Amino acid sequence: MHFRVPGQDINREPFADNVPDFHYQSSLMQTDKGYKCRITNIVPLTEQEKLFQLRILDPDERNLFRFRPGQFLMLQVPGYGEVPISISSSTSNNEQVELCIRKAGHVTNVLFEAQKGAHVAIRGPFGSSFPMEEMMDRNVILVAGGLGIAPLRAPLFWINDHRDRYKDVHMLYGTKEPSQMLFTYQFEEWEKINHIDLHTIVEQGTPDWNGRTGMITKLFSEIDIDPENTHAIVCGPPVMFKFVCNYLDKQGIPMNRMFVSLERRMHCGMGKCCRCMVGSTFTCVDGPVFDYWSVMNLKEAI
Amino acid sequence: MIYKVIAKPEFEKFIDALVKENLSFGPRQVDTDTKGQPIYQFKEVSSATDIAFDYTTTYSSAKHFLMPFRENLSHFSYTDGDWEQEITYEVKPIVLIGLRPCDISAINILDSVLLNGHFPSPYYLARRKNTFIIGMDHLPLPDCFCKSLNHHTVTSGFNLFCSDIGDSYYVSINSSKAYNYLKEFEVQDPTYDDDCKLIERRKLIKQSFKTDVEVTGLPSFLDIEFDSPIWTKWGDKCLNCGTCAMVCPTCYCYNMEDRPDVDLQGSSRQKQLYSCNLVDFAEVAGGHNFRPKNGDRLKYRYYHHYLGFAENANQPICVGCNRCGRACLADINPKDVINDLRMEKESCMICISESPDKT
Amino acid sequence: MQHLGFSHKKIKIGSFDFTCCEGCQLQLANHESTLPAFLDLLDIRNFREISSEKHDDYDIALVEGSITREDEIERLKTIRKNAKVLIAYGTCACFGGVNSLKNNFPIEETVREVYGNNSVDTLPVRRIGDVVKVDYSIPGCPVSKEEVERIIISVATGSMINLPKYPVCVECKQQLNTCLFDLGEICLGPITRAGCNAVCTTGKTVCLGCRGPADDINFESFLQLVADRQLSLDELDEKLGFYNCFEEFRHDKS
Repeated sequence: MHFRVPGQDINREPFADNVPDFHYQSSLMQTDKGYKCRITNIVPLTEQEKLFQLRILDPDERNLFRFRPGQFLMLQVPGYGEVPISISSSTSNNEQVELCIRKAGHVTNVLFEAQKGAHVAIRGPFGSSFPMEEMMDRNVILVAGGLGIAPLRAPLFWINDHRDRYKDVHMLYGTKEPSQMLFTYQFEEWEKINHIDLHTIVEQGTPDWNGRTGMITKLFSEIDIDPENTHAIVCGPPVMFKFVCNYLDKQGIPMNRMFVSLERRMHCGMGKCCRCMVGSTFTCVDGPVFDYWSVMNLKEAI
Repeated sequence: MIYKVIAKPEFEKFIDALVKENLSFGPRQVDTDTKGQPIYQFKEVSSATDIAFDYTTTYSSAKHFLMPFRENLSHFSYTDGDWEQEITYEVKPIVLIGLRPCDISAINILDSVLLNGHFPSPYYLARRKNTFIIGMDHLPLPDCFCKSLNHHTVTSGFNLFCSDIGDSYYVSINSSKAYNYLKEFEVQDPTYDDDCKLIERRKLIKQSFKTDVEVTGLPSFLDIEFDSPIWTKWGDKCLNCGTCAMVCPTCYCYNMEDRPDVDLQGSSRQKQLYSCNLVDFAEVAGGHNFRPKNGDRLKYRYYHHYLGFAENANQPICVGCNRCGRACLADINPKDVINDLRMEKESCMICISESPDKT
Repeated sequence: MQHLGFSHKKIKIGSFDFTCCEGCQLQLANHESTLPAFLDLLDIRNFREISSEKHDDYDIALVEGSITREDEIERLKTIRKNAKVLIAYGTCACFGGVNSLKNNFPIEETVREVYGNNSVDTLPVRRIGDVVKVDYSIPGCPVSKEEVERIIISVATGSMINLPKYPVCVECKQQLNTCLFDLGEICLGPITRAGCNAVCTTGKTVCLGCRGPADDINFESFLQLVADRQLSLDELDEKLGFYNCFEEFRHDKS
């Protein structure tokens, strides 16, 4: 017994030398423990997308969960796995979290089978956010392609909550087909109440589509851009934000005033598993929101 | 640090006492290769005689004692329409004997990556705190290049470190536990002669390196050479087998999956060490692969190892043990790849110098 | 999954064998520690190793063995018709397996060698996938019970079915094995799909590739490796042909 190395139980002692920074939200030692949520509502949007409304069960945890527009969370479906999902609700909505989810992999497939009242868990929030304060007293252009509208809703709700602090707000939204257009039920509210200048376009129209058809960049002809006083938030597939950002660059908006959200397959959200590395940057810690200049400097980003 | 000198037979008695009381691992010969060279691995030992104190290097590193290849992170127990998630960080203490300076450096690097970031890993911390490390110096093998990365000596991260000074070990004691254990044995304070022998020993080690990998300015080279054809050249050789990452003492990237219990009454969330050379490392939901080519993946591994990542203050994480080079069936090793990269760069510089003067 | 608001029924399963040793089906009855829980997931409709009941309503058909006779083709087609999901089970079913060695010789010669002058109805060996549509494959000679459990559970819970995409080397290194190439042997580990937990190489037996090629293997580099180490290319070819799993690569080469 003399030479037995004594065991050290970290379950009962302070974590490490320095206290982890969970964006001041999570308590110690909870790196893999999620906040348990109830799915309070499921809104079918299209064939491929549904909006899930989640409510964190524990009141203390619900209070702890605060995020910034652009951040994402890890959604845990016990028995199936974990997926990174961008938060699609208003930062001022402290009662529930909204996630717009596309059926893309095995976890999201199962989620589409889940019923109201089901219990899942979330970890987070993780990652960087859109610098909303920096954009105050300026014009903002929000550009969304396809599912890109999901992460864009958080900054949009933020603007709506502080509408007097932002000047002209344009929103350009394009999808492949009319049936893929999400949140159409909110368009009127955004336009009439929040004074958002909304323009939509589809790549391929259908007989009952009365709107514009073409690439999203076509919509730029409909708005005036004051490059000195405009910030842009662009969310969508890499090809799309490349075209959009190049256009805005030509209009004279500095690259560090355009913000994009990158998508990678995070497994941990904590800068450990390295699955979401782009070049030598973690999408989960340094991103998902980057200014376009940083994206240009990231190898293999686009 | 406290220094003592202990005669080799006495040291073995000490190790024997330690090994008999604790779950211990040390270098053991497991095979002899076709060239007649012994192959060693860190394996469980139950007495000092099990340990090959004069071993060269182990085929695999010691990282899996701190980061198991597969590990349960949490367990979900299902109850009537609900579930509970259970997490504990329970580990039994282990003793690791005979780690080389590069191995200990590697653990120090893992500490900085896994404990000092925004989200320290409690799983790693529990194991790290329960690992008693005894290091031993050695003469480098012909292909060791830890000196190039300054990892041929180590000053922290161990409980005890032994330098071979002939009939005795010159031991550096870095923990009170180790100090108290050693009290029970015959140890002397180092004499002037012992100090000289230690300096001689260190000099000898330093002079014995046969492989040098020039790493000065490497981060900038890598940044510039992102599209270099050499990645395709080496990528074409790569078997995508992940061996390099498995034997590497610092590769820590991983995969997560949920595994339901067979009775469907619960599930485990498991972490599996992965390799960036494996084909689906950068695959996302829906099947898109961000690094579909061998060369892309191989390049990524070199970027991680020599450019470093932000979580690690952009320090290279390679310690120069060349385990990956030795284990690679396709003969890819850091020395050749980096030299190739430099050649490429230098030929570039020649072009520049030969171009007409712009002024 | 109750916590997600849906539950699952027992899986109606049938297990069938064609030309094979039935060793894979026996694997299902192995792994005693989890056997009761595993069997509890199943409603066995047709499975002669486990139960004497025989019914034709099953959701999943596990099909073991390769196809070597006319009557087997008909039987297989009926099974396909009855089953919602057909799983090729074991190396013989997925790739033809050891049986396929006979395809290297004229069929009359093989019959004469084994049965003398008795006439036997036999065809060149075919994979299950050559005859009917296969939904999933579980390779292995024999299959690994743990993997089978995992896949059956995936089917039961509506989760994803996936085999590892990487080669055996990953699992072999995780077992801290000595590389068999370092011991002067030819091992197919670097090109063979993992999932077996490197059971052969851990027992110091070379991998013969019973699980078939991993995703996106670098076959050229593998040939180079065998040549560079001055190992016999004929021996390599023999190993590649052993389970009939690497035909596309063997023929590319020549």
